[in-house]
Amino acid sequence: MGVPYIPVVGLVGTDLLARRDDMVLAPDPFDGKTISVVARAMRPDVAVFHVDKADRHGNVSCGYPAEAVILAEASQHVIVTAEEIVDRLEEKHAIGTFVPSILVDSVVHAPFGSHPAGMTGRYGPDKVHMQQYVAASRDDAAFGEYLRTYVFDVESHADYVERFVPRELQRPTRVA
Amino acid sequence: MSVNLNYNEAELMAVLMSREVRDGEVSACGALSQLPATGLLLAKELQAPNAELIILNTVFRPFHTSRQFHFLAQRGELGLFFASGVQVDRHGNYNLHQLGTDPERPEVRFPGGYGGGMIYYCARRTVVFRTEHTRRSLVERVDFISATGSSPANVLRLGNPSKLITPKASFRFDKDAACLRLDSIHPSYTLDEIRENTGFDPGVTGPVATTLAPTTEELRVLRSVVRPKMIETGTYAAWAERALGLRV
Repeated sequence: MGVPYIPVVGLVGTDLLARRDDMVLAPDPFDGKTISVVARAMRPDVAVFHVDKADRHGNVSCGYPAEAVILAEASQHVIVTAEEIVDRLEEKHAIGTFVPSILVDSVVHAPFGSHPAGMTGRYGPDKVHMQQYVAASRDDAAFGEYLRTYVFDVESHADYVERFVPRELQRPTRVA
Repeated sequence: MSVNLNYNEAELMAVLMSREVRDGEVSACGALSQLPATGLLLAKELQAPNAELIILNTVFRPFHTSRQFHFLAQRGELGLFFASGVQVDRHGNYNLHQLGTDPERPEVRFPGGYGGGMIYYCARRTVVFRTEHTRRSLVERVDFISATGSSPANVLRLGNPSKLITPKASFRFDKDAACLRLDSIHPSYTLDEIRENTGFDPGVTGPVATTLAPTTEELRVLRSVVRPKMIETGTYAAWAERALGLRV
């Protein structure tokens, strides 16, 4: 959108609002009286999101309906990770949301990049891993251990897939 | 007190919710909302054939992104929304975020985010429902305000809470007094039982009506039209199969 802030109807009086410094109360600039919330625009330095297909120019077919366009527009630098890289992707062949290459800076081939979450049309969530994650998130020590195992001590994405994505998820079970 | 009822609790709540739907309006509910989804589909078969329904994350939705839903609400196009919280208080505030007295160290966290606190101001009417009617769920003051029941006159607000529906009773939101008042008691319950299980003063000033029980027609359509429709369309199918229809 490119606007510096946007008014929002709602939220006044909530504890959510009380704990945010990017949303404040402000009067309507036209009548000078009516109060509503004004939210500061988010301009992330970097956005990273995972999609079904991308081409080498950065055209993206998300594979599912997503808010990817607004996210890409807002962010200074956009990195897309994709299950599959194709030669040329046109909007009319996109599944779900299409993101044009002008909004995308980098494309990374990352099969199973959604793991342990699922990827629409490709593989479901890894429920066993999800349970481990939930258990690990209960305290800082357990979560530190989780990060060490699945993030810091992993050599590469291929190493992660090899070691942690269950074989049954890796079977080619493309569904519509 | 033992009374033979020909409906179960889920059916009662779905029927009561369906009666809130008006023909021609846009009526919606969020994710994980089996009871409102059932109520919306029932209303569409009964008094509201021209209602536009939005049941998020099911086939009954006109669009796919949350941005479209957000701005539909902001434009004031929602007539009715169904919301729930783990706690609801006397002033119509509800809590879908966290429990505990120290906000920095919650005892339990819930999936509450931004949507409820926004829509409460935007939908013309919001019906809050709670499947547990106890002193821990209906409280004098919620631990965390996710959505605010009332607001000062100079704050831009397009709509207000309308009702609170539980398995035992219905409350009406009194906008002037900014509080919930007991509206009707469901069949088989007494005012004493309501007082005993409600963590705030139910604001009773006179005799309280008994809720009109689900009618034969409402139950027939619920069981023979809405239930199969939910199963066929994958709209909380497993839940509908299990929860709707009285086992005798």
